[in-house]
Amino acid sequence: MESKKGDLIVGIMVGIFGLIGLVLASGALDIEIYVFGLSLAGFATLFIFGLVKRFYDEKDVGHGAGGQGGH
Amino acid sequence: MKRTSATGPAARGDIKMASAATAILDEGTFSIKNTYNEAIVRKFTIAAIIWSLVAFSAGIYIASELAFPQMNIAPYFNFGRLRPVHTTFAVFGFGGNVLFATSLYVVQRTCKARLFGGRALADFVFWGYQLQVVSMGLSYVLGFSKGQEYAEGEWHLDIWLAIVWVCYMTIFFGTLLRRKEPHIYVANWFFLAYMTMILILHIGRNLCVPISFFRAKSYSLFPGVQDAMIQWWYGHNVVGFFLTAGFLGIMYYFIPKAAGRPVYSYRLSIVHFWSLTFLYVWVGAHHLHWTALPDWTQTLGMAFSIMLWMPSWGGMINGIMTLSGAWDKLRTDPGLRFSVTAVAFYGMSTFEGPLMAIRDVNALSHYTDWTIGHVHSGALGWVMLVSFGALYYLVPTLWRKPGMYSHRLMEWHYWLAMTGIIFYIFAMWIAGITQGLMWRAYDDHGFLQYSFVESVAAMHPYYCLRATGGILILTGALLMAYNSFRTIVTPVELFRLAGRRELGVAAAGE
Repeated sequence: MESKKGDLIVGIMVGIFGLIGLVLASGALDIEIYVFGLSLAGFATLFIFGLVKRFYDEKDVGHGAGGQGGH
Repeated sequence: MKRTSATGPAARGDIKMASAATAILDEGTFSIKNTYNEAIVRKFTIAAIIWSLVAFSAGIYIASELAFPQMNIAPYFNFGRLRPVHTTFAVFGFGGNVLFATSLYVVQRTCKARLFGGRALADFVFWGYQLQVVSMGLSYVLGFSKGQEYAEGEWHLDIWLAIVWVCYMTIFFGTLLRRKEPHIYVANWFFLAYMTMILILHIGRNLCVPISFFRAKSYSLFPGVQDAMIQWWYGHNVVGFFLTAGFLGIMYYFIPKAAGRPVYSYRLSIVHFWSLTFLYVWVGAHHLHWTALPDWTQTLGMAFSIMLWMPSWGGMINGIMTLSGAWDKLRTDPGLRFSVTAVAFYGMSTFEGPLMAIRDVNALSHYTDWTIGHVHSGALGWVMLVSFGALYYLVPTLWRKPGMYSHRLMEWHYWLAMTGIIFYIFAMWIAGITQGLMWRAYDDHGFLQYSFVESVAAMHPYYCLRATGGILILTGALLMAYNSFRTIVTPVELFRLAGRRELGVAAAGE
Protein backbone atom coordinates (compact mmCIF):
# COMPACT_ATOMS: atom_id res chain seq x y z
CA MET A 1 0.00 0.00 0.00
CA GLU A 2 2.79 2.33 1.06
CA SER A 3 4.65 1.49 -2.12
CA LYS A 4 1.67 2.09 -4.38
CA LYS A 5 0.98 5.44 -2.76
CA GLY A 6 4.69 6.24 -2.86
CA ASP A 7 4.90 5.36 -6.56
CA LEU A 8 1.99 7.66 -7.32
CA ILE A 9 3.41 10.60 -5.38
CA VAL A 10 6.88 10.16 -6.87
CA GLY A 11 5.39 9.74 -10.34
CA ILE A 12 3.43 12.99 -10.09
CA MET A 13 6.45 14.80 -8.64
CA VAL A 14 8.71 13.61 -11.45
CA GLY A 15 6.05 14.51 -14.01
CA ILE A 16 6.05 18.09 -12.72
CA PHE A 17 9.85 18.18 -12.93
CA GLY A 18 9.61 17.00 -16.53
CA LEU A 19 7.22 19.83 -17.38
CA ILE A 20 9.52 22.35 -15.70
CA GLY A 21 12.33 20.90 -17.80
CA LEU A 22 10.34 21.50 -20.98
CA VAL A 23 9.57 25.09 -19.95
CA LEU A 24 13.26 25.67 -19.21
CA ALA A 25 14.33 24.25 -22.58
CA SER A 26 11.69 26.19 -24.49
CA GLY A 27 12.77 29.57 -23.13
CA ALA A 28 16.48 28.85 -22.66
CA LEU A 29 18.83 31.77 -23.27
CA ASP A 30 21.98 29.66 -23.11
CA ILE A 31 22.99 26.12 -24.00
CA GLU A 32 23.33 25.03 -20.38
CA ILE A 33 19.69 25.66 -19.49
CA TYR A 34 18.63 24.17 -22.83
CA VAL A 35 20.57 20.94 -22.24
CA PHE A 36 19.52 20.72 -18.60
CA GLY A 37 15.86 21.33 -19.43
CA LEU A 38 15.83 18.62 -22.08
CA SER A 39 17.72 16.26 -19.77
CA LEU A 40 15.15 16.82 -17.05
CA ALA A 41 12.28 16.19 -19.44
CA GLY A 42 13.97 13.06 -20.80
CA PHE A 43 14.71 11.84 -17.30
CA ALA A 44 11.09 12.32 -16.26
CA THR A 45 9.77 10.52 -19.34
CA LEU A 46 12.00 7.50 -18.85
CA PHE A 47 11.39 7.38 -15.12
CA ILE A 48 7.61 7.45 -15.46
CA PHE A 49 7.79 4.91 -18.28
CA GLY A 50 9.73 2.68 -15.86
CA LEU A 51 7.06 3.10 -13.20
CA VAL A 52 4.28 2.22 -15.64
CA LYS A 53 6.20 -0.79 -16.92
CA ARG A 54 6.84 -2.07 -13.42
CA PHE A 55 3.19 -1.64 -12.50
CA TYR A 56 2.05 -3.84 -15.39
CA ASP A 57 4.89 -6.33 -14.89
CA GLU A 58 3.81 -6.84 -11.31
CA LYS A 59 0.20 -7.11 -12.37
CA ASP A 60 1.17 -9.83 -14.86
CA VAL A 61 3.11 -11.68 -12.20
CA GLY A 62 0.11 -11.37 -9.89
CA HIS A 63 -2.20 -12.79 -12.55
CA GLY A 64 0.27 -15.58 -13.25
CA ALA A 65 0.48 -16.52 -9.59
CA GLY A 66 -3.29 -16.27 -9.25
CA GLY A 67 -3.75 -18.48 -12.29
CA GLN A 68 -1.40 -21.13 -10.98
CA GLY A 69 -3.10 -21.03 -7.61
CA GLY A 70 -6.48 -21.51 -9.31
CA HIS A 71 -5.37 -24.62 -11.11
CA MET B 1 28.18 -20.40 8.16
CA LYS B 2 27.52 -18.90 11.54
CA ARG B 3 27.25 -15.18 11.57
CA THR B 4 29.51 -13.31 13.99
CA SER B 5 28.10 -10.60 16.18
CA ALA B 6 30.05 -7.45 15.59
CA THR B 7 28.17 -4.34 16.36
CA GLY B 8 26.37 -4.70 19.63
CA PRO B 9 22.63 -4.81 20.14
CA ALA B 10 21.84 -3.50 16.71
CA ALA B 11 23.89 -6.19 15.07
CA ARG B 12 22.23 -8.92 17.09
CA GLY B 13 18.96 -7.88 15.55
CA ASP B 14 20.73 -7.68 12.24
CA ILE B 15 21.50 -11.39 12.41
CA LYS B 16 17.90 -12.52 12.24
CA MET B 17 16.93 -10.15 9.47
CA ALA B 18 19.96 -11.00 7.37
CA SER B 19 19.11 -14.67 7.59
CA ALA B 20 15.54 -13.97 6.55
CA ALA B 21 16.63 -11.76 3.69
CA THR B 22 19.07 -14.36 2.43
CA ALA B 23 16.26 -16.82 1.96
CA ILE B 24 14.34 -14.52 -0.34
CA LEU B 25 15.55 -14.47 -3.89
CA ASP B 26 13.77 -11.40 -5.18
CA GLU B 27 15.40 -8.86 -2.88
CA GLY B 28 14.06 -5.73 -4.43
CA THR B 29 10.41 -6.65 -4.77
CA PHE B 30 8.43 -4.45 -2.47
CA SER B 31 5.41 -6.72 -2.52
CA ILE B 32 7.26 -9.05 -0.18
CA LYS B 33 7.15 -7.42 3.22
CA ASN B 34 9.90 -7.44 5.81
CA THR B 35 12.75 -7.72 3.37
CA TYR B 36 15.46 -5.23 2.72
CA ASN B 37 15.56 -3.12 -0.40
CA GLU B 38 18.94 -4.32 -1.57
CA ALA B 39 18.23 -3.58 -5.22
CA ILE B 40 18.90 0.10 -4.60
CA VAL B 41 22.10 -0.67 -2.69
CA ARG B 42 23.27 -2.80 -5.61
CA LYS B 43 22.62 0.06 -8.03
CA PHE B 44 24.58 2.53 -5.96
CA THR B 45 27.39 0.00 -5.56
CA ILE B 46 27.73 -0.47 -9.33
CA ALA B 47 27.50 3.29 -9.87
CA ALA B 48 30.26 3.86 -7.31
CA ILE B 49 32.58 1.46 -9.14
CA ILE B 50 31.87 3.10 -12.51
CA TRP B 51 32.31 6.63 -11.15
CA SER B 52 35.59 5.67 -9.51
CA LEU B 53 36.99 4.75 -12.94
CA VAL B 54 35.69 7.96 -14.52
CA ALA B 55 36.96 10.15 -11.67
CA PHE B 56 40.42 8.59 -11.64
CA SER B 57 40.69 8.89 -15.44
CA ALA B 58 39.77 12.57 -15.25
CA GLY B 59 42.32 13.01 -12.46
CA ILE B 60 45.09 11.45 -14.52
CA TYR B 61 44.22 13.65 -17.48
CA ILE B 62 44.33 16.91 -15.52
CA ALA B 63 47.50 15.80 -13.70
CA SER B 64 49.05 15.22 -17.13
CA GLU B 65 47.85 18.63 -18.28
CA LEU B 66 49.90 20.23 -15.51
CA ALA B 67 52.96 18.17 -16.43
CA PHE B 68 52.47 18.65 -20.18
CA PRO B 69 50.55 21.91 -20.79
CA GLN B 70 50.10 21.14 -24.50
CA MET B 71 47.45 18.62 -23.43
CA ASN B 72 45.14 21.54 -22.61
CA ILE B 73 42.72 21.50 -25.54
CA ALA B 74 40.80 24.78 -25.57
CA PRO B 75 38.17 25.48 -24.58
CA TYR B 76 36.40 22.34 -23.42
CA PHE B 77 39.37 20.40 -22.09
CA ASN B 78 41.32 23.17 -20.41
CA PHE B 79 42.56 22.45 -16.91
CA GLY B 80 40.28 25.17 -15.54
CA ARG B 81 37.18 23.39 -16.84
CA LEU B 82 38.26 19.81 -16.21
CA ARG B 83 39.50 20.30 -12.67
CA PRO B 84 36.00 20.72 -11.18
CA VAL B 85 34.86 17.82 -13.38
CA HIS B 86 37.44 15.61 -11.66
CA THR B 87 36.55 16.78 -8.14
CA THR B 88 32.83 16.43 -8.83
CA PHE B 89 33.18 12.92 -10.22
CA ALA B 90 35.49 11.90 -7.37
CA VAL B 91 33.65 13.50 -4.44
CA PHE B 92 30.03 13.35 -5.57
CA GLY B 93 30.23 10.61 -8.19
CA PHE B 94 32.43 8.04 -6.48
CA GLY B 95 32.27 9.16 -2.82
CA GLY B 96 28.60 10.09 -2.98
CA ASN B 97 27.50 6.79 -4.48
CA VAL B 98 29.54 4.87 -1.90
CA LEU B 99 27.84 6.87 0.86
CA PHE B 100 24.38 6.30 -0.59
CA ALA B 101 25.04 2.56 -0.97
CA THR B 102 26.49 2.07 2.49
CA SER B 103 24.10 4.33 4.40
CA LEU B 104 21.04 2.71 2.83
CA TYR B 105 22.49 -0.74 3.50
CA VAL B 106 23.50 -0.03 7.09
CA VAL B 107 20.30 1.74 8.12
CA GLN B 108 18.18 -1.22 7.03
CA ARG B 109 20.34 -3.81 8.72
CA THR B 110 20.82 -2.01 12.00
CA CYS B 111 17.18 -0.88 12.25
CA LYS B 112 15.72 -4.19 11.09
CA ALA B 113 13.50 -2.22 8.75
CA ARG B 114 12.94 -1.91 5.03
CA LEU B 115 13.65 1.48 3.45
CA PHE B 116 10.91 4.02 3.96
CA GLY B 117 9.07 5.53 1.00
CA GLY B 118 8.86 2.57 -1.34
CA ARG B 119 10.90 1.54 -4.29
CA ALA B 120 10.00 4.48 -6.55
CA LEU B 121 11.38 7.06 -4.14
CA ALA B 122 14.64 5.14 -3.75
CA ASP B 123 14.90 4.80 -7.55
CA PHE B 124 14.23 8.51 -7.94
CA VAL B 125 17.10 9.27 -5.55
CA PHE B 126 19.39 6.96 -7.52
CA TRP B 127 18.61 8.19 -11.01
CA GLY B 128 18.17 11.80 -9.90
CA TYR B 129 21.59 11.75 -8.30
CA GLN B 130 23.23 10.25 -11.40
CA LEU B 131 21.55 12.96 -13.50
CA GLN B 132 22.96 15.55 -11.11
CA VAL B 133 26.55 14.28 -11.34
CA VAL B 134 26.44 13.97 -15.14
CA SER B 135 24.84 17.43 -15.46
CA MET B 136 27.49 19.00 -13.26
CA GLY B 137 30.31 17.50 -15.33
CA LEU B 138 28.70 18.59 -18.59
CA SER B 139 28.02 22.07 -17.24
CA TYR B 140 31.67 22.66 -16.27
CA VAL B 141 32.97 21.40 -19.61
CA LEU B 142 30.59 23.84 -21.33
CA GLY B 143 32.08 26.63 -19.22
CA PHE B 144 29.29 27.28 -16.72
CA SER B 145 30.52 27.60 -13.15
CA LYS B 146 30.02 29.72 -10.05
CA GLY B 147 33.74 29.44 -9.35
CA GLN B 148 33.13 28.17 -5.82
CA GLU B 149 35.20 25.12 -4.97
CA TYR B 150 33.06 21.96 -4.62
CA ALA B 151 29.97 24.14 -5.28
CA GLU B 152 30.63 25.11 -8.88
CA GLY B 153 27.18 24.13 -10.13
CA GLU B 154 24.88 26.95 -11.19
CA TRP B 155 21.57 27.64 -9.45
CA HIS B 156 19.43 25.13 -11.35
CA LEU B 157 21.79 22.29 -10.46
CA ASP B 158 21.80 23.41 -6.83
CA ILE B 159 18.01 23.23 -6.69
CA TRP B 160 17.97 19.79 -8.29
CA LEU B 161 20.57 18.45 -5.84
CA ALA B 162 18.60 19.87 -2.90
CA ILE B 163 15.45 18.07 -4.11
CA VAL B 164 17.24 14.75 -4.52
CA TRP B 165 18.97 15.18 -1.17
CA VAL B 166 15.73 15.89 0.69
CA CYS B 167 14.25 12.71 -0.81
CA TYR B 168 17.34 10.77 0.32
CA MET B 169 17.00 12.17 3.83
CA THR B 170 13.31 11.33 3.86
CA ILE B 171 14.16 7.69 3.12
CA PHE B 172 16.87 7.57 5.76
CA PHE B 173 14.96 9.38 8.51
CA GLY B 174 11.77 7.47 7.73
CA THR B 175 13.62 4.17 8.02
CA LEU B 176 15.08 5.23 11.35
CA LEU B 177 11.62 6.17 12.59
CA ARG B 178 10.19 2.76 11.71
CA ARG B 179 13.12 0.87 13.24
CA LYS B 180 12.47 -2.23 15.29
CA GLU B 181 15.61 -1.77 17.36
CA PRO B 182 15.29 0.76 20.20
CA HIS B 183 18.92 1.77 19.84
CA ILE B 184 20.26 3.81 16.94
CA TYR B 185 23.63 2.32 16.10
CA VAL B 186 26.51 4.82 16.04
CA ALA B 187 27.15 4.46 12.30
CA ASN B 188 23.68 5.88 11.72
CA TRP B 189 24.51 8.89 13.88
CA PHE B 190 27.44 9.66 11.63
CA PHE B 191 25.27 9.21 8.53
CA LEU B 192 22.65 11.50 10.06
CA ALA B 193 25.22 14.20 10.77
CA TYR B 194 26.62 13.94 7.27
CA MET B 195 23.34 14.23 5.41
CA THR B 196 21.86 16.91 7.66
CA MET B 197 24.92 19.11 7.54
CA ILE B 198 25.39 18.67 3.82
CA LEU B 199 21.85 19.96 3.25
CA ILE B 200 22.46 22.98 5.48
CA LEU B 201 25.83 23.68 3.88
CA HIS B 202 24.52 23.22 0.37
CA ILE B 203 21.64 25.63 0.85
CA GLY B 204 23.72 28.14 2.82
CA ARG B 205 26.58 28.25 0.32
CA ASN B 206 24.37 28.42 -2.73
CA LEU B 207 22.05 31.25 -1.70
CA CYS B 208 22.20 33.35 -4.82
CA VAL B 209 20.18 35.46 -7.23
CA PRO B 210 19.83 34.08 -10.78
CA ILE B 211 19.85 36.79 -13.43
CA SER B 212 17.06 35.00 -15.29
CA PHE B 213 14.98 31.85 -15.00
CA PHE B 214 16.26 30.91 -18.45
CA ARG B 215 19.96 31.65 -17.98
CA ALA B 216 22.59 29.67 -16.07
CA LYS B 217 24.15 32.61 -14.32
CA SER B 218 23.69 33.84 -10.76
CA TYR B 219 25.31 36.07 -8.16
CA SER B 220 26.00 35.12 -4.56
CA LEU B 221 23.99 36.79 -1.82
CA PHE B 222 27.16 37.38 0.17
CA PRO B 223 29.60 40.16 -0.67
CA GLY B 224 33.40 40.23 -0.48
CA VAL B 225 35.15 38.58 2.40
CA GLN B 226 31.86 37.32 3.81
CA ASP B 227 31.43 35.32 0.63
CA ALA B 228 34.92 33.91 1.12
CA MET B 229 34.07 32.96 4.71
CA ILE B 230 30.81 31.30 3.62
CA GLN B 231 32.72 29.49 0.89
CA TRP B 232 35.20 27.94 3.32
CA TRP B 233 32.60 27.29 5.97
CA TYR B 234 31.01 25.23 3.21
CA GLY B 235 34.21 23.90 1.60
CA HIS B 236 35.84 22.61 4.74
CA ASN B 237 32.64 21.12 6.06
CA VAL B 238 32.14 19.21 2.84
CA VAL B 239 35.44 17.62 3.80
CA GLY B 240 34.32 17.35 7.42
CA PHE B 241 30.85 15.95 6.94
CA PHE B 242 30.74 14.42 3.46
CA LEU B 243 34.25 12.99 3.33
CA THR B 244 34.78 12.41 7.05
CA ALA B 245 31.58 11.92 9.06
CA GLY B 246 29.89 9.90 6.31
CA PHE B 247 32.88 7.63 5.85
CA LEU B 248 33.26 7.26 9.62
CA GLY B 249 29.78 5.77 9.51
CA ILE B 250 31.22 3.24 7.05
CA MET B 251 34.17 2.60 9.36
CA TYR B 252 31.94 1.96 12.39
CA TYR B 253 29.87 -0.64 10.56
CA PHE B 254 32.10 -2.38 8.05
CA ILE B 255 35.30 -2.80 10.07
CA PRO B 256 33.55 -4.56 12.97
CA LYS B 257 31.60 -6.67 10.49
CA ALA B 258 34.63 -7.68 8.46
CA ALA B 259 36.79 -8.24 11.54
CA GLY B 260 34.07 -10.13 13.37
CA ARG B 261 34.74 -8.01 16.46
CA PRO B 262 32.68 -5.43 18.33
CA VAL B 263 33.67 -1.77 18.21
CA TYR B 264 36.66 -1.32 20.55
CA SER B 265 34.87 1.27 22.67
CA TYR B 266 31.27 2.15 21.98
CA ARG B 267 31.47 4.99 24.49
CA LEU B 268 34.49 6.43 22.68
CA SER B 269 32.53 6.29 19.43
CA ILE B 270 29.82 8.48 20.96
CA VAL B 271 32.40 10.94 22.31
CA HIS B 272 34.01 10.85 18.86
CA PHE B 273 30.69 11.70 17.23
CA TRP B 274 29.71 14.67 19.40
CA SER B 275 33.16 16.22 19.62
CA LEU B 276 33.75 15.87 15.88
CA THR B 277 30.41 17.36 14.88
CA PHE B 278 30.76 20.21 17.37
CA LEU B 279 34.31 21.17 16.42
CA TYR B 280 34.27 20.72 12.65
CA VAL B 281 31.86 23.55 11.84
CA TRP B 282 34.22 26.20 13.21
CA VAL B 283 37.39 25.44 11.31
CA GLY B 284 36.68 26.78 7.80
CA ALA B 285 38.46 30.07 8.49
CA HIS B 286 41.84 28.33 8.41
CA HIS B 287 41.54 28.36 4.62
CA LEU B 288 41.74 32.14 4.75
CA HIS B 289 44.88 32.77 6.78
CA TRP B 290 46.76 35.91 5.75
CA THR B 291 43.76 37.33 3.92
CA ALA B 292 41.32 40.20 4.53
CA LEU B 293 39.44 38.02 7.02
CA PRO B 294 39.72 39.52 10.54
CA ASP B 295 42.61 38.13 12.59
CA TRP B 296 40.36 36.91 15.38
CA THR B 297 38.36 34.81 12.92
CA GLN B 298 41.54 33.27 11.56
CA THR B 299 42.69 32.51 15.12
CA LEU B 300 39.33 30.96 15.92
CA GLY B 301 39.60 28.70 12.88
CA MET B 302 43.16 27.75 13.82
CA ALA B 303 42.31 27.00 17.47
CA PHE B 304 39.34 24.77 16.61
CA SER B 305 41.42 23.01 13.96
CA ILE B 306 44.01 22.09 16.57
CA MET B 307 41.29 20.90 18.95
CA LEU B 308 40.11 18.56 16.17
CA TRP B 309 43.19 16.44 16.80
CA MET B 310 41.47 14.92 19.83
CA PRO B 311 38.28 13.51 18.28
CA SER B 312 40.06 12.55 15.08
CA TRP B 313 42.68 10.51 16.85
CA GLY B 314 40.15 9.13 19.30
CA GLY B 315 38.16 7.85 16.35
CA MET B 316 41.23 6.48 14.61
CA ILE B 317 42.29 4.60 17.74
CA ASN B 318 38.77 3.24 18.07
CA GLY B 319 38.78 2.03 14.47
CA ILE B 320 42.18 0.39 14.61
CA MET B 321 41.75 -1.15 18.07
CA THR B 322 38.55 -2.80 16.88
CA LEU B 323 40.91 -5.34 15.35
CA SER B 324 42.11 -6.40 18.81
CA GLY B 325 42.09 -10.17 18.75
CA ALA B 326 41.59 -10.27 14.99
CA TRP B 327 44.84 -8.85 13.66
CA ASP B 328 45.54 -12.06 11.77
CA LYS B 329 42.64 -11.25 9.47
CA LEU B 330 44.72 -8.50 7.93
CA ARG B 331 46.82 -11.22 6.29
CA THR B 332 43.89 -13.15 4.91
CA ASP B 333 41.31 -10.47 4.12
CA PRO B 334 42.54 -7.75 1.73
CA GLY B 335 39.16 -6.02 1.99
CA LEU B 336 39.66 -5.51 5.71
CA ARG B 337 43.24 -4.42 5.05
CA PHE B 338 41.91 -1.66 2.79
CA SER B 339 39.66 -0.43 5.60
CA VAL B 340 42.28 -0.53 8.32
CA THR B 341 44.92 1.15 6.16
CA ALA B 342 42.31 3.80 5.48
CA VAL B 343 41.92 4.43 9.19
CA ALA B 344 45.70 4.80 9.51
CA PHE B 345 45.58 7.37 6.71
CA TYR B 346 42.68 9.06 8.48
CA GLY B 347 44.97 9.47 11.48
CA MET B 348 47.81 10.81 9.35
CA SER B 349 45.77 13.29 7.36
CA THR B 350 43.89 14.54 10.41
CA PHE B 351 47.23 15.15 12.07
CA GLU B 352 48.53 17.00 9.04
CA GLY B 353 45.39 19.16 8.63
CA PRO B 354 45.56 20.92 12.01
CA LEU B 355 49.31 21.29 11.55
CA MET B 356 48.72 23.12 8.27
CA ALA B 357 46.02 25.22 9.95
CA ILE B 358 48.63 26.79 12.24
CA ARG B 359 49.09 30.23 10.77
CA ASP B 360 52.89 30.12 10.61
CA VAL B 361 52.91 26.71 8.94
CA ASN B 362 50.19 27.95 6.59
CA ALA B 363 52.45 30.84 5.56
CA LEU B 364 54.65 28.23 3.91
CA SER B 365 52.02 25.75 2.74
CA HIS B 366 49.21 27.97 1.45
CA TYR B 367 48.72 28.13 -2.34
CA THR B 368 51.29 25.35 -2.81
CA ASP B 369 50.91 21.72 -3.87
CA TRP B 370 51.36 20.66 -0.25
CA THR B 371 47.65 21.43 0.12
CA ILE B 372 46.89 19.17 -2.85
CA GLY B 373 49.03 16.45 -1.27
CA HIS B 374 47.18 16.82 2.02
CA VAL B 375 43.78 16.70 0.38
CA HIS B 376 44.71 13.54 -1.49
CA SER B 377 46.20 11.81 1.54
CA GLY B 378 42.67 12.18 2.92
CA ALA B 379 40.78 11.61 -0.33
CA LEU B 380 42.83 8.67 -1.56
CA GLY B 381 44.28 7.31 1.67
CA TRP B 382 41.14 7.60 3.77
CA VAL B 383 38.06 7.98 1.57
CA MET B 384 39.10 5.81 -1.36
CA LEU B 385 40.58 2.98 0.69
CA VAL B 386 37.70 2.79 3.17
CA SER B 387 35.32 2.83 0.19
CA PHE B 388 37.13 -0.07 -1.45
CA GLY B 389 37.01 -1.94 1.87
CA ALA B 390 33.24 -1.42 2.01
CA LEU B 391 32.77 -2.33 -1.67
CA TYR B 392 34.71 -5.57 -1.21
CA TYR B 393 32.33 -6.38 1.62
CA LEU B 394 29.19 -5.33 -0.23
CA VAL B 395 29.72 -6.96 -3.62
CA PRO B 396 29.79 -10.59 -2.44
CA THR B 397 27.18 -9.90 0.23
CA LEU B 398 24.67 -8.24 -2.08
CA TRP B 399 25.04 -10.80 -4.84
CA ARG B 400 25.00 -13.75 -2.41
CA LYS B 401 28.49 -15.05 -3.15
CA PRO B 402 30.85 -16.58 -0.60
CA GLY B 403 33.53 -14.02 -1.41
CA MET B 404 35.19 -12.04 -4.17
CA TYR B 405 36.03 -13.85 -7.40
CA SER B 406 39.79 -13.44 -6.98
CA HIS B 407 41.80 -12.82 -3.84
CA ARG B 408 44.91 -12.31 -5.89
CA LEU B 409 43.34 -9.44 -7.80
CA MET B 410 42.35 -7.88 -4.48
CA GLU B 411 45.98 -8.16 -3.33
CA TRP B 412 47.19 -6.58 -6.55
CA HIS B 413 44.64 -3.83 -6.17
CA TYR B 414 45.75 -3.13 -2.62
CA TRP B 415 49.43 -2.79 -3.47
CA LEU B 416 48.80 -0.79 -6.66
CA ALA B 417 46.59 1.60 -4.70
CA MET B 418 49.13 1.92 -1.89
CA THR B 419 52.01 2.53 -4.28
CA GLY B 420 49.95 5.05 -6.23
CA ILE B 421 48.99 6.95 -3.10
CA ILE B 422 52.57 7.09 -1.88
CA PHE B 423 53.78 8.31 -5.29
CA TYR B 424 51.07 10.97 -5.25
CA ILE B 425 51.40 12.38 -1.76
CA PHE B 426 55.18 12.29 -1.53
CA ALA B 427 55.47 14.04 -4.88
CA MET B 428 53.05 16.73 -3.74
CA TRP B 429 54.68 17.18 -0.35
CA ILE B 430 58.08 17.72 -1.93
CA ALA B 431 56.60 19.90 -4.68
CA GLY B 432 54.67 22.02 -2.19
CA ILE B 433 57.52 22.66 0.18
CA THR B 434 59.80 23.41 -2.78
CA GLN B 435 57.27 25.94 -4.10
CA GLY B 436 56.82 27.56 -0.70
CA LEU B 437 60.55 27.91 -0.18
CA MET B 438 61.16 29.22 -3.73
CA TRP B 439 58.43 31.86 -3.37
CA ARG B 440 59.87 33.22 -0.12
CA ALA B 441 63.57 33.13 -1.12
CA TYR B 442 65.25 36.54 -1.32
CA ASP B 443 68.71 37.41 -2.65
CA ASP B 444 71.24 39.67 -0.96
CA HIS B 445 69.63 42.78 -2.47
CA GLY B 446 66.17 41.95 -1.15
CA PHE B 447 64.77 40.88 -4.50
CA LEU B 448 62.85 37.65 -5.03
CA GLN B 449 65.38 34.98 -5.95
CA TYR B 450 63.07 33.09 -8.30
CA SER B 451 60.44 34.22 -10.75
CA PHE B 452 57.08 32.48 -10.50
CA VAL B 453 57.61 30.65 -13.77
CA GLU B 454 60.82 29.13 -12.42
CA SER B 455 58.84 27.59 -9.58
CA VAL B 456 56.37 26.22 -12.15
CA ALA B 457 59.19 24.68 -14.21
CA ALA B 458 60.66 23.12 -11.07
CA MET B 459 57.43 21.19 -10.55
CA HIS B 460 57.63 19.18 -13.76
CA PRO B 461 59.20 15.97 -12.32
CA TYR B 462 56.80 15.95 -9.39
CA TYR B 463 53.81 16.43 -11.66
CA CYS B 464 54.97 13.50 -13.77
CA LEU B 465 55.37 11.41 -10.62
CA ARG B 466 51.87 12.37 -9.51
CA ALA B 467 50.36 11.35 -12.86
CA THR B 468 52.20 8.02 -12.55
CA GLY B 469 50.67 7.53 -9.12
CA GLY B 470 47.26 8.22 -10.61
CA ILE B 471 47.80 5.61 -13.34
CA LEU B 472 48.65 3.01 -10.67
CA ILE B 473 45.49 3.90 -8.74
CA LEU B 474 43.35 3.66 -11.88
CA THR B 475 44.92 0.30 -12.77
CA GLY B 476 44.03 -1.01 -9.32
CA ALA B 477 40.47 0.27 -9.67
CA LEU B 478 40.16 -1.45 -13.06
CA LEU B 479 41.17 -4.71 -11.39
CA MET B 480 38.50 -4.11 -8.76
CA ALA B 481 35.87 -3.44 -11.42
CA TYR B 482 36.82 -6.65 -13.25
CA ASN B 483 36.91 -8.63 -10.01
CA SER B 484 33.51 -7.26 -9.00
CA PHE B 485 32.04 -8.04 -12.42
CA ARG B 486 33.31 -11.62 -12.27
CA THR B 487 32.04 -11.98 -8.71
CA ILE B 488 28.59 -10.89 -9.81
CA VAL B 489 28.34 -13.08 -12.93
CA THR B 490 30.06 -16.22 -11.64
CA PRO B 491 27.49 -18.75 -10.38
CA VAL B 492 27.79 -19.51 -6.70
CA GLU B 493 28.29 -23.22 -7.46
CA LEU B 494 31.56 -22.45 -9.19
CA PHE B 495 32.85 -20.79 -6.03
CA ARG B 496 32.09 -23.96 -4.13
CA LEU B 497 33.69 -26.16 -6.77
CA ALA B 498 36.80 -24.01 -6.69
CA GLY B 499 36.93 -24.54 -2.95
CA ARG B 500 37.61 -20.90 -2.21
CA ARG B 501 36.92 -21.18 1.48
CA GLU B 502 39.22 -18.28 2.32
CA LEU B 503 37.02 -15.98 0.24
CA GLY B 504 34.24 -16.36 2.75
CA VAL B 505 35.92 -13.99 5.20
CA ALA B 506 34.39 -10.79 3.98
CA ALA B 507 30.92 -12.23 3.64
CA ALA B 508 30.94 -14.47 6.67
CA GLY B 509 27.51 -15.71 7.48
CA GLU B 510 25.67 -13.74 4.85
